[in-house]
Amino acid sequence: MKLLTHNLLSSHVRGVGSRGFPLRLQATEVRINPVEFNPDFVARMIPKVEWAALLEAADTLHLVEVPKGPIEGYEHDEKFLRQMHHVLLEVDVLEGTLQCPESGRLFPISRGIPNMLLSDEETET
Amino acid sequence: MREVRVRLAATQVEYISGKVFFTTCSDLNMLKKLKSAERLFLLIKKQFPLKVSSVSKGNIFNEMQRLVNDGPESWLSAISIWKNLLELDAKKDKLSQRDANPLKRKVGENDVSNPKKLKTEQMQELQESRECRLEKQMEEETAEQGDFLMNREKSQEAFQNEVVKAADDPSQKDLTFRVSCRCSGAIAKTFTAQEVGRVIGIALMKQFGWKADLRNPNLEIFIHLNDIYSVVGIPVFRVPLASRAYIKTTGLRSTIAWAMASLAEIKAGAFVLDPMCGLGTILLEAAKEWPDVYYVGADVSDSQLLGAYDNLKAAGLQDKIELLKVSVTELPLPSESVDVIISDIPFGKKFKLGKDIKNILQEMERVLHVGGTIVLLLNNDHHRRLQDCEQSGIPLNSKGSPTDEPGIEECMSPREKTDLSDTVSSSSEASSQGGLDKMPPVGSLVPVECYQVSLGRTEAFICKYRKSHSLGL
Repeated sequence: MKLLTHNLLSSHVRGVGSRGFPLRLQATEVRINPVEFNPDFVARMIPKVEWAALLEAADTLHLVEVPKGPIEGYEHDEKFLRQMHHVLLEVDVLEGTLQCPESGRLFPISRGIPNMLLSDEETET
Repeated sequence: MREVRVRLAATQVEYISGKVFFTTCSDLNMLKKLKSAERLFLLIKKQFPLKVSSVSKGNIFNEMQRLVNDGPESWLSAISIWKNLLELDAKKDKLSQRDANPLKRKVGENDVSNPKKLKTEQMQELQESRECRLEKQMEEETAEQGDFLMNREKSQEAFQNEVVKAADDPSQKDLTFRVSCRCSGAIAKTFTAQEVGRVIGIALMKQFGWKADLRNPNLEIFIHLNDIYSVVGIPVFRVPLASRAYIKTTGLRSTIAWAMASLAEIKAGAFVLDPMCGLGTILLEAAKEWPDVYYVGADVSDSQLLGAYDNLKAAGLQDKIELLKVSVTELPLPSESVDVIISDIPFGKKFKLGKDIKNILQEMERVLHVGGTIVLLLNNDHHRRLQDCEQSGIPLNSKGSPTDEPGIEECMSPREKTDLSDTVSSSSEASSQGGLDKMPPVGSLVPVECYQVSLGRTEAFICKYRKSHSLGL
């Protein structure tokens, strides 16, 4: 699971609503994958990023060189884009958990795929 | 058809009942990239249907034989083209084929027809026929002398085709072939496919001296006879186009997956979701074609996800596509975060659909951006259910007044209108004036286009929706 994905996931346990974001990340196995750098693509993702969530996740994974936020003219700043590219796309969490900040519910990540299925009771209104 | 025009710069594109005929001068690699067609053929002959009115079968047999015997040049040149194509592909040394005879023959166009297994009226880009002008990289000048082929005379480009005069080419005689025949319509009532195949086969043997080999022929000849046309062609590739090199295990047919993806208006930097991705066929096709996009696939089944992951790895696309184990009715995504949703709704034959189709649509609608598109493959039941919603005019989260002003782009894109009218009229019975007053089936989702397709034995609908505005929160 890449951090770009983590940035979008939120808990949907009943009653939690918007307080289900961001999910607290805990990783037991992480892999760094080289991914082809596509500056255009990264630049387009920047406006969608929730920075607080990203920084929190990056922190948990002890990542360095993480930009704290979008900088002026980031579309043309290759260094910035490369750093973002690394953080968003090249860090892959293979094993770990995601925790709903409101309900405490844990969602496991296994083989890179987070399992966010809720049981029937949890989805009942 | 659109694909053919765009990808191959094809001209004279014509669509007839499940086959698309066209002319192009692209090379083999470009042809290989055609995505929406099942198979690609080099056309030898296309003409009016054989009349079945005659009493005696003998007459008709004669007509069939004429298919072979009339204008043998078209056969021979088609075969040379085909051979040349394959040689180009295998990078064999063509020069050894060159005759001492310096006659440079300009090979005219031969149409290529492409019968698609999806025999429906309405797919947009479906089969392509191709007229190929071979483009062999010959250093030759552009000397124009030579025999022109029958009635085709289009000027060649800078590259000259060194085609050995086919009639004298001894290697032609050693061809083994097999005739595959398909008959439908009136002709099918009089003849079986085997009979026709046999007649043609014998005629071919007589005319060209080829030998028939049913098991492993050099050359396969396809004949399709129906009420609209009689078509003869040679397959361009050994393997049908639809079997993709980059997909290990397919779920959905790759041609339909590609067509759905191309309907979805995927733009660079978009976030595309397939909430019931299964083995990921749709995402794979999309990611191959539109790579600068963020793809996410979700499924509830472990085995499907594992298969999808395998597929991703085999295709080298695991960096472009993320997988999640989530349920489509409870998507853990913030509202309005997704740009495009493409999905093949499980039909119930292979997999069971646990939740109602309306619930699924609601959740999809929630996460979709305003202006985003949804393209779904539905079976008849689902389709009808959605229609019922429309007809009763009650959107699922009704606001009472018709504030859901349809931002419908168009009911059908005019290009496909010709053959679309039949199925469309049946699917929009309620709507009086051509469907523009339809109430959207789910809140703000507005139907844009709908196509009926055939998946071999079953039929289905590809439906495209657009979200016209936010749900009142």
